Amino acid sequence: MINELLLEFARSLEAQEYSQMLVSGYYSWNWLEATHVLTLMVSIGSLFIIDFRMLGWMLPTVPASKIAERLHKPMIIGFVIMFITGIALVYAKPVENVQSLWFRIKMLLLLLAFINAWVFNARLKAADGSWDADRVAPKPLRTGAIISLCLWFGVVAMGRFIPYDWVDCPKVTNTTLLWASGCVDQLNAL
Amino acid sequence: MLNNLLSNYRSVAGLALVLLAVVLLEVFEVRDKIYPSIFPFFEWLKYSSWIGYLGTTYGSVYATVQAGHLVSMAVIGGTVLITDLRLLGVVLRDVPSETITQGTYKCFKVSLIVVVATGIFCAAGVADKVYYMPVFWVKMLALLVGSCFMFFIKQPLLNSRPHNEIEPWTLRILAVASIFVWFTVAATGRWIGFS
Repeated sequence: MINELLLEFARSLEAQEYSQMLVSGYYSWNWLEATHVLTLMVSIGSLFIIDFRMLGWMLPTVPASKIAERLHKPMIIGFVIMFITGIALVYAKPVENVQSLWFRIKMLLLLLAFINAWVFNARLKAADGSWDADRVAPKPLRTGAIISLCLWFGVVAMGRFIPYDWVDCPKVTNTTLLWASGCVDQLNAL
Repeated sequence: MLNNLLSNYRSVAGLALVLLAVVLLEVFEVRDKIYPSIFPFFEWLKYSSWIGYLGTTYGSVYATVQAGHLVSMAVIGGTVLITDLRLLGVVLRDVPSETITQGTYKCFKVSLIVVVATGIFCAAGVADKVYYMPVFWVKMLALLVGSCFMFFIKQPLLNSRPHNEIEPWTLRILAVASIFVWFTVAATGRWIGFS
């Protein structure tokens, strides 16, 4: 049911003039994709520095809460640009993305990364800076940092997997994979 | 006096010599002569080396290494931004810039090694294609310039004395140049995918 609704919505987006303009324009598509990828350096770059500090791999003499607080703004700016360009990229190829297993895993990992970030922030506030001058953060925050590193690596990796066609709908016969990828037409044809 | 100058500006003089060598290679058309002779190496990289075999046979391995390349490039971007924005007085103004510069340097070096290693793997998979791409060579040049700038100019200068003894405009120019050169490396890398 959810797959049918998603596909119907994606097809209605794809029929729109702006969606077709974005995908057919060589420069519009390339600039969008380039901006999306290059903003990684600001967003994930800042995020990884915060995580590395929690693990004691970088700037161990600078209070961890200070690093987290001061890099929050550039990190958020990076993420906002990444999301805007990301939404535009999905809008340009909605059907392809909705029926991509990698895109779906990427969205799931993004959701998990945000839940982890929320828990991490709550723990950071609850810790009240008592460990701030320590070389490494307390174990729960270190765990959060490692989970964050893994999840974001996964997000980037899935982003790289999207252009590959290994599990595109016409190539898949396994029903679970077809369902997971949202291949409605192929499932109906079975 | 010459000795004094050379001892004070050894890194800059070395870099100037490298740049002079690049200009001479171009002027005497040495590059044009070398360029065709390195094509067999690119062919070997793709068709005969094990990294070329892995990259062309297993797409998932190639894409995962590409993700590693992107993430390590993001870490380089993060370390460059935090250092340069601090030098420009935009972030972490209450932390000494010396602390930030020294604290991020090791991570920058490790990330650069990962970027180069994963980059060689990625290039090996499409070696016969990138050989003909001007943007690939621009990226290699930008990477060389960025690395030389970091190791022979920026870091030696920032480590040579307390930052408050360095002319503020020198620090600002250093920071802007660093952001510009690493942005060029990343942007040209992305453009390879579009060519």
